[in-house]
Amino acid sequence: MRLVYADNNATTQVAPEVVEAMAPFFAEQYFNPSSMYEAARGPAAAIAQARATVARHLGAAHPAEILFTSCATESNNTAIFGVVRANPSRRHVVTTAVEHPAVLEVGKELVRQGLEVDFIGVDRHGRLDTTAFVKALRPGETLLVSVMHANNETGVIFPVAELARIVKETDPGILFHTDATQTAGKLPIDLSGDMRHVDLLSLSGHKLHAPKGVGALYIRRGTPCRPLLIGGHQEANRRAGTENVAFIVALGRALELAMATRDADERRVAALRDRLERELSARISFLEVNGQGAPRLANTLNLACHFVEGEGMLYQLSAAGICASSGSACTSGSLEPSHVLRAMGVPFTAVHGSIRFSLSRYSTDEDVDRIVEVFPTVVANLRRLSPYWDVVADRPRPDAEALLTQAVEERRRSLASPHQP
Amino acid sequence: MTWNYSKKTMQLFMDAVHGKPGTHMGEIANPDGFGEHGSIACGDALRFTFRVERHPTDPTQDRIVEARYLTFGCTSAIAASEALCALIEEGHYTPIEALKITNKDIADYLDGLPKEKLHCSVMGAEALEAAVFNWAIKRGVDLAALGIDITRKEQEEGRLVCKCFGLTEPYLRRKIKELELRTIADITHAVKAGGACMSCHHAPGGLQDLLDETWGRQAPRPAAQPAPPLERFVAGLVHNGLSPFQFAKKVERVLDEVVRPQLRQDGGDVEIVDIKDNLVYCRLVGACAGCVGASRTIKMMVEQALKDRVDERIRVIAVGGQEGVA
Repeated sequence: MRLVYADNNATTQVAPEVVEAMAPFFAEQYFNPSSMYEAARGPAAAIAQARATVARHLGAAHPAEILFTSCATESNNTAIFGVVRANPSRRHVVTTAVEHPAVLEVGKELVRQGLEVDFIGVDRHGRLDTTAFVKALRPGETLLVSVMHANNETGVIFPVAELARIVKETDPGILFHTDATQTAGKLPIDLSGDMRHVDLLSLSGHKLHAPKGVGALYIRRGTPCRPLLIGGHQEANRRAGTENVAFIVALGRALELAMATRDADERRVAALRDRLERELSARISFLEVNGQGAPRLANTLNLACHFVEGEGMLYQLSAAGICASSGSACTSGSLEPSHVLRAMGVPFTAVHGSIRFSLSRYSTDEDVDRIVEVFPTVVANLRRLSPYWDVVADRPRPDAEALLTQAVEERRRSLASPHQP
Repeated sequence: MTWNYSKKTMQLFMDAVHGKPGTHMGEIANPDGFGEHGSIACGDALRFTFRVERHPTDPTQDRIVEARYLTFGCTSAIAASEALCALIEEGHYTPIEALKITNKDIADYLDGLPKEKLHCSVMGAEALEAAVFNWAIKRGVDLAALGIDITRKEQEEGRLVCKCFGLTEPYLRRKIKELELRTIADITHAVKAGGACMSCHHAPGGLQDLLDETWGRQAPRPAAQPAPPLERFVAGLVHNGLSPFQFAKKVERVLDEVVRPQLRQDGGDVEIVDIKDNLVYCRLVGACAGCVGASRTIKMMVEQALKDRVDERIRVIAVGGQEGVA
């Protein structure tokens, strides 16, 4: 059975060109780049080149502003804990309620350590509540603002450049961090241009066709940030530990490849995603497209099916060779469904039935065809088993219709957003 | 997260979703027993019905001959529902005998469940119990006279401990004892209580208190968080010689008199998002919101008007329009 991989926001296939680029650094050029002999120059030069490549594609002014890390989680932890430790006089942090756990849980840890943290909410489309964001800023008191560039679950893009400008106009002493794990290689990032107010930026290799185990952190020159890993002098004393040469090379090559064909890839992937969205919406009733009213990443489609539960969908898809993911409680290890979808006020009749398809430049028309062929049946199978569904009428039972009305009304009340047109 | 389900669990789930012969999906019309447990908001719900072969003279000798379920829930919830129906039909039980089926029997039938998924088997046992009570009422069987405690349902309409999953103190106390739950995690895995907002864990009368009262105190609790300092509230009271309220009124008045008439000619408007000392945050709305020069319009026009007429130290910060995009 052919595998259809539609979980690229979780991880991606390593590009063959990337595998090729990293290969020499295992058995041939295995030398420690910190060593003094001639042979070690190769690995050292390869790291320098990767650093320059990453700096160039992010619009960083200096290659030394790029630190290589083991993953985006390490980058986020370094950025947040690092600036907290370097700036003990400020004790207030602003972030969002929909961050990846690598930021959200760090924020909660800061609360336990005695800092004040505001978690800003979103509207029903997943757009940041900019009024609450502005109100949360405290000139002279706020230490750090951390807002993700795009959401991993819904693909909704936050206006990070503008938020960073507002922050710096409020108080240049407030630091701005963004988790760009889902956007590096997918969206243009220019830290010398519109993103010039961003001080710290995290990214990950394995979301852009490099292997797992490598990430990067951009730290603008002059930003006060203490290291997380203490030890040797690597990465200019800001991240100790022998460099993971092959994987750093891989990250540089992967970003280069992604940026070379970014425009064309984005257009093609958007066309695939839009067709998937259109065809599934036409075939499945009582379906929500999460984040539909907001600017979204071209590759992400997050759906919520009323009256079914997500985990049962994943297992059926898996049996048909389709890889996707869900924000349902049962897939998360917690009993609560996705914090992102709850923050958006997805109705409780649908929040357990979410599914995310995320494409990549390797996705094909055949992949979309296969999902369109299989997924409507998967939903129908579970609705047939559901106590809320009338199979004959193919719609919710009357008492479930009442639940639906109640759920939609609850959302309307809880998210009476002032920015709605 | 990939759960380590047994082969049996996966098989029962796949058979059920494909409606294989011998599976038990469905609802019996005019059932002899009807029971429900869970709700869609909690993430799983089970409607359980059974039909009996009626004994001509002694209803307690009725035999369950058919059991059906409709389940909203995950893989293991659906498999546990299958297991429940299969256990009952295979055992050819009377409803009273069926009451002896426990969540452990269901889990065993499935060759085990991950501990986080135990609540799926508990849900089956609860729905079964509700259905047997329903049968007893329909058939005029006095369960109390047979030594079966039917009062617990009423008792359990007590104080709500876990608001997320709607679980009461009497219910939780009973389950803590019945299932020998020793920690908050045990409770959550078995009956889901405390698995969502978690605020009932250490609240007064919360899960830890119920555990302590049942098994004796085990561990010290974390100290309460200190209240936020008062200084900040006091600091906000002085504002260019004006109170924050007077200052905001004055800013609004200048906008009304000077700025808004000009913007409204173009079908637009400006709103104040926030004021912090001398920083005034404005958002252009209406026709002006999509304007490319919106930020600069605010910065130039609004800031100058406010500097001239309110306070020369004022700085205006433009906040994006409806899409939040600059």
